[in-house]
Amino acid sequence: MLLSSFAVFLVPFVSPGEPVRSLLRARMDIGAADEATVQAYAQQFGLHDPMLVQFGRWLGRFVTGDMGISHISGTPVADQVLPAIAVTLSLAGSALLVAIAVSIVLGVISATRAGSWPDRLITSVTHALIAIPEYALAPLLVLLFAVRWSLLPSAGFDSPASLVLPVFILALRPISFFTVAVRSGVRQALDSEHVLAARARGLSSTQALVRHVVPHGLLPLWTMVGVWFAGLLGGSVIVEVIFAIPGMGRLIFDAIVDADIPVAQGGVVVVVACAVLTTGIIDLVHKLSDPNVRIGVRHG
Amino acid sequence: MKFGRLSAAAGFAAIALALTACSSTPSSPAPEAAANPDARAVVANFRAPVSNWALESDDAYVLSIAGCLETLTKYDQTTKKVEPMLATSWKQASDTVWEFELRKNVKFQDGTALDAKAVAGSLNRVLKATAPARAVNPKTISKVEAADADTVRVTTPAADPLLPYRMASVNAGVLSPAAYTAKGIDPMKHCTGPFAPVSEKAGQSLTLDRNENYWDGEVKLAGGEIRYITDGATRATQVQTGEADISMSIPATSLATLEADDKISVLKADSPRTSTLYLNNSRAPFDDVNLRKAATMAMDLPAIAASIYEGAAQPATGPFAPSESWANPELGVPQLNIEEAKKLVEASGYKQQKPLEIIAITERAEFAGVATIIQEQFKQIGLTAKVVTKSYGAAEPDVLAGNYDMILSQRNRMIDIADPIGFLQADYTCEGGYNLSHYCNKDYDKLIFQATTETDETKRHDLYRQAGDILAADAANVWLVNEQAIDAVGNSVQGYVQDPLTRYVLTKDLAKTQ
Repeated sequence: MLLSSFAVFLVPFVSPGEPVRSLLRARMDIGAADEATVQAYAQQFGLHDPMLVQFGRWLGRFVTGDMGISHISGTPVADQVLPAIAVTLSLAGSALLVAIAVSIVLGVISATRAGSWPDRLITSVTHALIAIPEYALAPLLVLLFAVRWSLLPSAGFDSPASLVLPVFILALRPISFFTVAVRSGVRQALDSEHVLAARARGLSSTQALVRHVVPHGLLPLWTMVGVWFAGLLGGSVIVEVIFAIPGMGRLIFDAIVDADIPVAQGGVVVVVACAVLTTGIIDLVHKLSDPNVRIGVRHG
Repeated sequence: MKFGRLSAAAGFAAIALALTACSSTPSSPAPEAAANPDARAVVANFRAPVSNWALESDDAYVLSIAGCLETLTKYDQTTKKVEPMLATSWKQASDTVWEFELRKNVKFQDGTALDAKAVAGSLNRVLKATAPARAVNPKTISKVEAADADTVRVTTPAADPLLPYRMASVNAGVLSPAAYTAKGIDPMKHCTGPFAPVSEKAGQSLTLDRNENYWDGEVKLAGGEIRYITDGATRATQVQTGEADISMSIPATSLATLEADDKISVLKADSPRTSTLYLNNSRAPFDDVNLRKAATMAMDLPAIAASIYEGAAQPATGPFAPSESWANPELGVPQLNIEEAKKLVEASGYKQQKPLEIIAITERAEFAGVATIIQEQFKQIGLTAKVVTKSYGAAEPDVLAGNYDMILSQRNRMIDIADPIGFLQADYTCEGGYNLSHYCNKDYDKLIFQATTETDETKRHDLYRQAGDILAADAANVWLVNEQAIDAVGNSVQGYVQDPLTRYVLTKDLAKTQ
């Protein structure tokens, strides 16, 4: 977290141009502010202090739970970051839930019917989905579902219906990767000795699938879910802009462009914290899902 | 505005030209059905408030288009005059002192009476801001005080005939004293306008209800919503689907689709922005007027307007849009003349050692396409150029220091007040604070100085025209296209008058039929 916040903090120091002028441009479309205004604004936020002094000041506040003040709005960073992370968590969480559900169904079908036409179809479609960029797919879906058929809102974040398109678009790529992972995991599980033994003990193929194959086959999925979740927390900028969603990706992106470093730092730290927390939870789920680990724990 | 398509039909531009030529202040057609007093209007706005509603910032525009924030005076785009708003009259008590008589019986939406003390309080807060507004700052206003309960006295550092224009700036808006809290400005029910803000979804929208006690009579809509949608294509979609009733600042790429939709009216007006190829007048080769003129002659401006801008802009005739009252009506669009341009390059004696650099700022996506066309046009007159794309922030230090050849940019001539004096001073006088082209002509400066103290509006506009003629004769820059303000309005909307300065949208006369 410290490393990522310092990396963000460095951006204005290594970028061309004066960060104070970027801040002023974000507040007012006034072109070049006069030098006196630039100096006064920099003075107000201590932006002329040496780099390490500024970072130390931010860090000192941060450890006490204070994320600082936005250099554009002059309001507490937490007031911007917390609502944005709530929006993004619900967006990314919904997208991943959809992706998990769909990829388990597709992956299991694909694995249990390997080589058949459903397997080939699922494999082809999921590979194709990886290649479709969000900025191309989003306008197409908006055109169909909002403009032509009037089934869903074209933008916004104020009703469950407004979540459908952005969640679907964000879920597509994870669906592709997860399906491949589930297929591979289930294939391996199907060929494993303990599944063969279970079948030999008289379990039907469906019982074996549900009790032994799927739990084993999903193990690779959980690791990927953690990685994707972390990525979606800060990386859904395009979808957030197209659908006018006030999420974290957009907040951090705008803050970096406008040189509002306290907001960018606060945003990145919260995203990293959420990612670390999620990874920890996923690891726990992973362990609980892995019979070998469970047995190890029991005997340990 | 996204990348234009070079294949866009020139005929489309002709249609756009005809449409814009028809009216200076387009308004939505009035449907025959009766207005519904319970209707609420949704506006998709291109701006989102980012400065905690500080009135010296662009957040003031959001409160103004929401029908919340009002000012002492108002610049009427139709009459081109400053007219009364919260002040009923004003007079110049001396060279540097103006007095504004307040309208009687006006109340803020919280029930507090509007008085001179409240007005002075609002204006003084803007004056004391660390980064004050261009229209209202200590350089233009030295003091605001309550002369009596109904009279506001404004003192200026020097004679300023444009003070009533400054008082019409959204940055000179007036809020109830209760709006100023320890945490910043709270506009909820603290304005005087026809609509009272009642709630905000952070980063998404502002909801407003009708002000039942509005001083200027009946408000036709029950309320409204201003949505903050920064993506132009999304704004266009919102009005297409009927989710928004009015979408502001439609991008060129969505224009054809919306114009083909019979449920929508597309309104266009000259915006005060001219996309310009700034030439660095302070160093070779563009310190030579012959080369600057050659650069202008090498441009096919109608083709750029029709292709890259897809009809959402008109070829420029000079530094001003033709609809502005200070524009010289005799100036036509400069004609493409490659042969003459070649002769001028030759006459200049310029021997090119390395390619000239055209900076296309990334904030305006269409500039990359424009720069490529300019590069090709320059090739035809024997000049090689390379295109460099960078953010404006990255380019600005070099441009202000004079370390560049050419940059594509655009400026709003009337961002502070509905008069171009600030722009003409900052951008073209020898000491101008935003003189990107590093242009300097003492005759021009003399005219502008004279204009700053000219009280007669007609004479002042004539001085601006003369100044514009000097800029055009000196070919200070290549003025490429005048951008159009484009709004899309659903057909159920009545009484919408487009404001190219983007200050007024939700007004007391705006109505809906359903």
